Amino acid sequence: MTTEIGQGITVDRTGETGAFGGELLTVNFGPHHPSTHGVLRLVVDLDGEQVKRIKPVIGYLHTGIEKQMEALRWQQGVVVTDRHDYLSPPINNLAYALAVERLMGVEVPPRAQALRVIMCELTRLSSHLVWMGTSGLELGAMSMLMYCFRDRDTIMDMNEEISGFRMHTSYIRPGGVFADATPRFLDMLDRFTAKTMTKNVDEYEALLTDNPIWRRRTIGIGRLSAEDAKVLGATGPMLRGSGVAWDLRKAMPYSGYENYDFEIATSDLCDCYGRYLVRIKEMRESVKILRQALDRLPDGPINVDDRKMLPPPREELETSMEAVIHHFKLFTEGYSVPPGDVYVAVESGRGENGCYISSDGTHKPRRVKFRSASFVNLQALERMALNHFIADMIAIIGTADTVLGDCDR
Amino acid sequence: MGIEALAESLGQNFLTTTLGKLVGWGRGNSVWPAQFGLACCAIEMIATATAGVDIGRFGSEAFRASPRQSDLMIVSGRVSQKMAPILRTIYDQMPEPKWVISMGACASTGGVFNNYALLQGVDKIVPVDVYIPGCPPRPEDLLNALMILQERIKAQGILPRQ
Amino acid sequence: MIPEALVVDRGVSAGDSWLTVDPAKVHDALSALKDEGYSLLVFLTCVDHLLDSSRNWPARYELLYELRNLETREQVRVRAFVDGDPPHIDSVHDLFPPANWDERETYDMFGVVFENHPDLTRILMPDDWVGHPLRRDYPVGGEVVEFSEEHETWQTAPEKA
Ligand code: SF4
Repeated sequence: MTTEIGQGITVDRTGETGAFGGELLTVNFGPHHPSTHGVLRLVVDLDGEQVKRIKPVIGYLHTGIEKQMEALRWQQGVVVTDRHDYLSPPINNLAYALAVERLMGVEVPPRAQALRVIMCELTRLSSHLVWMGTSGLELGAMSMLMYCFRDRDTIMDMNEEISGFRMHTSYIRPGGVFADATPRFLDMLDRFTAKTMTKNVDEYEALLTDNPIWRRRTIGIGRLSAEDAKVLGATGPMLRGSGVAWDLRKAMPYSGYENYDFEIATSDLCDCYGRYLVRIKEMRESVKILRQALDRLPDGPINVDDRKMLPPPREELETSMEAVIHHFKLFTEGYSVPPGDVYVAVESGRGENGCYISSDGTHKPRRVKFRSASFVNLQALERMALNHFIADMIAIIGTADTVLGDCDR
Repeated sequence: MGIEALAESLGQNFLTTTLGKLVGWGRGNSVWPAQFGLACCAIEMIATATAGVDIGRFGSEAFRASPRQSDLMIVSGRVSQKMAPILRTIYDQMPEPKWVISMGACASTGGVFNNYALLQGVDKIVPVDVYIPGCPPRPEDLLNALMILQERIKAQGILPRQ
Repeated sequence: MIPEALVVDRGVSAGDSWLTVDPAKVHDALSALKDEGYSLLVFLTCVDHLLDSSRNWPARYELLYELRNLETREQVRVRAFVDGDPPHIDSVHDLFPPANWDERETYDMFGVVFENHPDLTRILMPDDWVGHPLRRDYPVGGEVVEFSEEHETWQTAPEKA
């Protein structure tokens, strides 16, 4: 609708009126906005300060990961999987590794499985810590950022000890894991699970759970009923925060999760506060799993004994011609995976992160597709934020915990 | 009052320098970065601002949400083709003098992603002062880059950038 | 139960059961499966089988719908093969709301046109992008780097694409 506001001067207006007689205002939010958790852009229609419509615009972090994987050999692809959901690299590695292993028909030895579980749970912790720190910062609890990153740094140090790298460890690979746990790592983990983390989660609860500001800004905000969450395909804390006890670690166990004793964290509150409680509980459960994994860490090899898939150990290279040939073949053309396709889903900090692989029998994948939790969960944003104030939208985006790298791939 | 008396009254309380050095000192020790996180590197950038590493020791803890208030853009992460025009707009919105740190392999060269979707190096669209290698660089690397940048800023003084 | 008339083929691949349906009836087949209890569409995607000699493919594009039954925890993968440029298939966003963005992504990446989709626009690439990046005849792109001979040859499109 074009209105003339002065002689010869016109402005375009939407012409829609809101409940209070005012005009609907379309506001652009992002992609460079401090509280969108990355480069999310939202086009929001506002009636006064109330949100009437949200259109998320994504793709600002589209990295071409799926195409890149088609150009890389099977064992090279691991490096790229790290970087798509950058708050939970080992979990992405695991999805990819399990998919390749299922196609190849191999199963990794028990010690490797336990080490995988350890890394995944550490990552879940660090992912929730980053979430809590940044969400706390956005909702006015700045000290949370400092505390949470303190613990995250401990986890990063452990990552570094076991894999040599802080964030993108590429630790879990098809056929096993990169290296065995060092005694120092086990020591650090012992201290971390026995003392540091149990005490610190209590500290976070003391800082936030009864904090009146935090409660005011999250309770009753961003409601998503269990039915809606299911229909919209939400997974992870978004679904569990609505009272549905669905956790892939329990529902469709992988990598030996069925042997651990833990509970599914749920909350019936269905709002931002509920999602927060779920994450806190999950952190406690992760510590429990870590403790059990550490106490029962089996001995044995950490890789499958398959020379066609993994390089032979260093000592063997000096004595065996065959080993040298295998080594050469692996590093010049890689291994090939039998034709077929497979889908493996794992539970990341955000929900179901899956990996679909289609192989045509060559030494590179034909198609790799990542099913990312953020991509699906983000579609529930409009349902949650409707008729809320724009300031509450920050809390809702925050507790949805989207990682844009995961969403855009 | 004679000149001696003036000198007397001021005592030891003044110092002579060139204007350039003074401005350089001031600018160099209060570099305000734009809060501009793109991908994984941004998490390490946040880690740099927290208590463990504490970028505040170097005067750069004030991450500004508005490009209008910042002097430094830390391009922390991969820049996609879709993001590139926005990044350039933000750079243009920053007031002079301004500097750019390209943090991480992706921002510097495209990193492990040599493909259609990413800009192969942010220096294609904005001038970069310091590159940090690493994927992601450690928080200490970012501090080091900041210190290198501070040296440059101090040396530059009030002269316009070449 | 899904009527047998809709199923063209079925089998198991690496432990996952799948069934192929006629692309023209994909909406009917999925709605039958939904009534059967497969209430969650885990993901929807496409595979481009251009110049793939490992198996006999009925058509170039394979559309995949991974469905899950939340009660019995069973999964099934529905395949539909389509050809043409651009290929056409019915949208299923009315059955499974999450399909909305998945279909937009598949359109963006493969150029598959979903009939009756409310807003079939690009989602990941810029709106003015030319081409569909995940098609096999679309080059990986990027820049030529030393010591990556393989990458360079891969960048050239196959002879007849
Ligand atoms: S350099 Fe590495 S850590 Fe940084 S954005 Fe790129 S992939 Fe992520």
